[in-house]
Amino acid sequence: MATKCMHVFDRLLLWFATCWKKNSTLTGRRKFHKDVEKEDFQYSTTQCLSSYYSVFVVRLAIMVMLAILIGLLTILTWHFTKIYTTKSLNSLAYDLRYELLQRPILRMWNILNSTAEITTAQVKLSEYVIRSHGNLATQAEQVEMYESMRAVTWALFASRKALNSITVKYRNGFVQAFHRDLKDNNIFYIYTDLSYHETNSFAAHEDTHSNKSAIWYREQLDPVNGEKIGKAMKIAPEDSISIAGLSQVPDGVASWHVSVGKFTDSPLLSAALPVWDSSNKSIVAVVGVTTALYSVGQLMKELVDKHSGHMYLTSQEGYLLATSTNDPLLTNSTKKPKLKMAVDCDNEVIREGAMWLKKTYENNFPPSHEVHEENARLGHQQYYIDSFFLILKKLPLVGVIIIPRKHIMGQADERAFKTLVILISASLCIIVIGCVCILILTNGVSKEMNLRAELISHLEARRKAEASSNYKSQFLANMSHELRTPMAAVIGLLDILLSDDRLTNEQCATVTQIRKCSTALLHLLNNILDISKVESGKLVLEEAEFDFGRELEGLVDMFSVQCINHNVEIILDLSDDMPKLVRGDSARVVQIFANLINNSIKFTLSGHIILRGWCENPNSYGDSENFTLEQKPFGCSRKTKMKQHENHSKKASNIDNKMILWFEVDDTGCGIDPSKWDSVFESFEQADLSTTRLHGGTGLGLCIVRSLVNKMGGEIKIVKKEGPGTLMRLYMQLTAPVDATEQHCQVDFANNNLMVLLALHGNMSRLITSKWLQKNGVLTMEASEWNGLTQILKELFEAKTSTHNNDFDTHFPAPEGLNSKFISIQELPNPTFVIVVDIDLLDLSTDIWKEQLNFLHKYYARAKFVWLQNHDSSNTVKTELRKKGHILTVNKPLYKAKMIHILEDVIKERNVEVQKKNMKEDDLHESLEIEYTHHCDVASSDGSDISEIGSSNLVTANGEKQREEVVRINPSSLYQKSNCLLGLSNGYMEHKEAFISTRAKGEDSKGGETSRVSGSSKAMNGKKSLEGLRILLAEDTAVIQRVATIMLEKMGATVVAVGDGQQAVDALNGMPGVERNTITSQTEILSFPSYDLILMDCQMPKMDGYEATKEIRKSEIGTSFHIPIVALTAHAMSCDEAKCLEVGMDAYLTKPIDFKLMESTILSLTKRETLTS
Amino acid sequence: MYSVAQLVEYTSSLFQQGFLDDQFNQLQLLQDESNPNFVVEVVTLFFEDAEKLLNQLEKEIGQENNIDFKRVDALVHQLKGSSSSIGAQRVQRVCIAFKNYCEEKNVEGCFKSLQDIKQEYTLVKTKFETLFKMEQQIFAAGGSAPR
Repeated sequence: MATKCMHVFDRLLLWFATCWKKNSTLTGRRKFHKDVEKEDFQYSTTQCLSSYYSVFVVRLAIMVMLAILIGLLTILTWHFTKIYTTKSLNSLAYDLRYELLQRPILRMWNILNSTAEITTAQVKLSEYVIRSHGNLATQAEQVEMYESMRAVTWALFASRKALNSITVKYRNGFVQAFHRDLKDNNIFYIYTDLSYHETNSFAAHEDTHSNKSAIWYREQLDPVNGEKIGKAMKIAPEDSISIAGLSQVPDGVASWHVSVGKFTDSPLLSAALPVWDSSNKSIVAVVGVTTALYSVGQLMKELVDKHSGHMYLTSQEGYLLATSTNDPLLTNSTKKPKLKMAVDCDNEVIREGAMWLKKTYENNFPPSHEVHEENARLGHQQYYIDSFFLILKKLPLVGVIIIPRKHIMGQADERAFKTLVILISASLCIIVIGCVCILILTNGVSKEMNLRAELISHLEARRKAEASSNYKSQFLANMSHELRTPMAAVIGLLDILLSDDRLTNEQCATVTQIRKCSTALLHLLNNILDISKVESGKLVLEEAEFDFGRELEGLVDMFSVQCINHNVEIILDLSDDMPKLVRGDSARVVQIFANLINNSIKFTLSGHIILRGWCENPNSYGDSENFTLEQKPFGCSRKTKMKQHENHSKKASNIDNKMILWFEVDDTGCGIDPSKWDSVFESFEQADLSTTRLHGGTGLGLCIVRSLVNKMGGEIKIVKKEGPGTLMRLYMQLTAPVDATEQHCQVDFANNNLMVLLALHGNMSRLITSKWLQKNGVLTMEASEWNGLTQILKELFEAKTSTHNNDFDTHFPAPEGLNSKFISIQELPNPTFVIVVDIDLLDLSTDIWKEQLNFLHKYYARAKFVWLQNHDSSNTVKTELRKKGHILTVNKPLYKAKMIHILEDVIKERNVEVQKKNMKEDDLHESLEIEYTHHCDVASSDGSDISEIGSSNLVTANGEKQREEVVRINPSSLYQKSNCLLGLSNGYMEHKEAFISTRAKGEDSKGGETSRVSGSSKAMNGKKSLEGLRILLAEDTAVIQRVATIMLEKMGATVVAVGDGQQAVDALNGMPGVERNTITSQTEILSFPSYDLILMDCQMPKMDGYEATKEIRKSEIGTSFHIPIVALTAHAMSCDEAKCLEVGMDAYLTKPIDFKLMESTILSLTKRETLTS
Repeated sequence: MYSVAQLVEYTSSLFQQGFLDDQFNQLQLLQDESNPNFVVEVVTLFFEDAEKLLNQLEKEIGQENNIDFKRVDALVHQLKGSSSSIGAQRVQRVCIAFKNYCEEKNVEGCFKSLQDIKQEYTLVKTKFETLFKMEQQIFAAGGSAPR
């Protein structure tokens, strides 16, 4: 058991050591990997170690308990099985031994008894015979008596076969004896000489043994009848047998003793009894009977034979009387044989048993002489030793039985031993298996603990990583301010530098380059900020209503400049079912498309870029599901995410009016390899790395797009397209306001008898426009160049006049397609012709264009001319056009909304014409223009001169009716537009190089112009830039309030400062009636003490800037009044900007307030001021 | 008595040590005949404002267990705005750090930042006071502060 324990313990120790080693190596590795977290890990290591200790202790405890339990079980089982069998076997064995011993003793007893009986009978008979012979006077009488004695004795002797001898010794020394030689089974009669007895009859009485003169005779007798067989032989007296003499019965009482016969090797039991005479006074003779104990030994042998034990009888003195062995009982000395002591017995077992007894008890035998010893070790075996004491008068006997323990208990012992062995081995097995199981189990536990520890450390690491990522975001958020400020300063300073005319050309070019680089850097910064924003999940999409179409149109307008420069057509093709108003984050939507279009422009050198949009029934999700399924390479997680998202959106669509808007950006650029279709959306991925050098960019654009689209519940992917180029398809989910869903462009031109002649340069836009027009029931004709246009015009109008002549066909052969159109046109009753002419069709390089104009002017009365002009169309052409009365001018590109407005105007004009034939044309134009501006700001532009450049504003232009406004397009109008957009969104819409250049130009002009404005105004009017403006300043911080006030006052504005948003709202509402009234009359507005602009801090007590703005805007609903609100904020993230713009603020200034920037911003928002001054 | 040169030197040292930034120049530019004490006025306003804010901050932060971080953030934001408006650059920087701690709800950081702010504030206050004293003396002596 102990060794077992030791073994288990050793094993545990070994295991622990390996564990520890493993652990330490692990630690080492970790240390190597993560030097930074060393301390942390050490801490966790100690923790681990302590946990290992506990595991170790628990293991040990469990094992020890198991061992104890199984050990106890074993011992108990063994004990019960062994002890009970042993006990019962012992009692049985005792009985057996007792029984065994009892029998020889009984036999002994029997022998003794029979000997006694015989002796008594002999005595009685002798007495009778002697008495009947009375006085033996003569020898004859004597002989006669002896003869009768002999007969009597013979009778007795013969009757007892067991008797060894019967002797009768008379008083006179005569001996008569019968002797049975047990060896030869011969019977002898021994007698002494009579004559001798007569003479010494009395002397013998005294001393029988010394009487040596007597002659002994021995006759062999027939054992059956006692007849003499042989002759009488003389033998030495008492040679063969012992004759009981008078000396043996000195007191006349029977005596017993064990004697040794000469002729037998076994001891003899002899009994002697005196024969009394008739008077009972004297002993006449002595009768002695000897019985051989041989038969007892024989019996013992038989008894013990079966049990392989030993038995012996001894006298009280220890002389052996009988044994179960054949060993001689007598010492064969040269003298008389003598009885042996038991301890001298030849038989080893008996000798040792006797010695053992003697040794154990010495002479202090227990009173009854009974000994029962179960475990006496004799030699190499264990024996049962039992002794019994038989008390006979004068002859006490001791019986000893020695039985080997093996014989009785052998089987039981063996069984017990076997059981023990089996039990022990079984328990050993169980313990081993149990230990192994525990080891495995606890190994699992410790492994789990290891894993858990590792998991915890991983979690810790992850938390740290997240925290550091958080720090990164925060750092970026903070840095955005810190980075942008110097960048803005650099750019501003460069602008100032550029406006300096003392620079040489070379310097100027360098500075321009630096400026370009700076803006590029700024946009890169903005991009990175955006991506970090999206990644950190801080991007929150706004939910605001916006006009989707208008946003995209603005975008297309913006990019058209660039496209025209690149000689690429940009076309906006929105389907009619697109909702007009949707809810969503307009800025982000615009950012998506700006990125995509910019990307397309970058890679498209010639051809077209089409932005298609259509709407999907929100209830049929099949397509989007397919879309998702197609996105296998996106990975499962993404897919499930999307699915969840869709499920979610499905749910939402039940409540909300969710729409799925599909878009395609189709270009004819170099295209993207299909293998990169997925990867281009990863951050810093570019389809072709070699293009980086060519086109620049960081590869963040598409990543941002995808993040945003996903955020809006959509997907983006690249779709296979025919022909060169890329086709990006995306969808997004936007909510449409319930009331606005039906506000589709419900235009019906079918019944207005319209005929549109599209004389456009770009094939795609012409095709798409004409398709759309035809769909809406408008007849169209197309011309792509000047000659085609003239031809069609000639055919159209001159054919019309010649219809009466019916020589149309012969004079003007036209293509087949046209023919049918001509015919259908001819069928139109009272048709109105709208001729859309691309200004590029004119040959502007030479002076031919004037003639061309003159040519067209011929048809002026018969058709409405709409001129499509470029941003860089020269002023001379424009003035010439205006001079000729061509007032309908539209900037490229031409798209649906513009077309609708053109047609509506044409129809309206026609109606007006019909109604008021006498109305002056000038007025007509004017009113028309107003309407037009009102609906479509596309062509709106300031009527004033250069002094207003940089201050035109979309909102103000739209919001205020400008009666003085004359449509006069100046070359920078498009710049202004982009500028305005830029001013509003502060550059987050699009950050790519192309746009940068636009912005750069815009800002160039802006910066330049602004400074010129202020310079000139100061110089000429002596006025300050903001003279006469009333500005409401809402700012809670006294310091900033004071600084801003002083700044504004320095610029000449009147400032009213309030402390929070609520006060600002109150200050505005103080004169609500006035505001409402001002709407009607434009001129009155200045006379009222209303505010021209609000500077609004974003974070204020009570009501913050956002709330206040919302409030103000709410109160403006229903009026066309729009007070410009400029946000003041200390944050610089674009989402703050977006938030500002979302609540209705018009511009955005960051703290600390920059003098120049504030001035220009305010100026740009209060254009009216400069206008009226 | 301080000389004009000393004043110039002192002012530029303030800029070099980062106590002030360009905004202070702008402030000085705004000062003219119509409001001759504009800079002093604004800076004094700032002191009042800042002291008020600092007191409130101390009270908020002192609440040990349930610090209203939003409130603290708003207060720090205000302080940041006003300090940036006078060009007290270092105070502003500490404010930014403070705001970060606020967002993390890092109490210890807030404590530390508050101490920092106080220190920076006291520092900038003494600097300003010295500056104004110099200006005053020069002004009293009939000179005019350099612009």
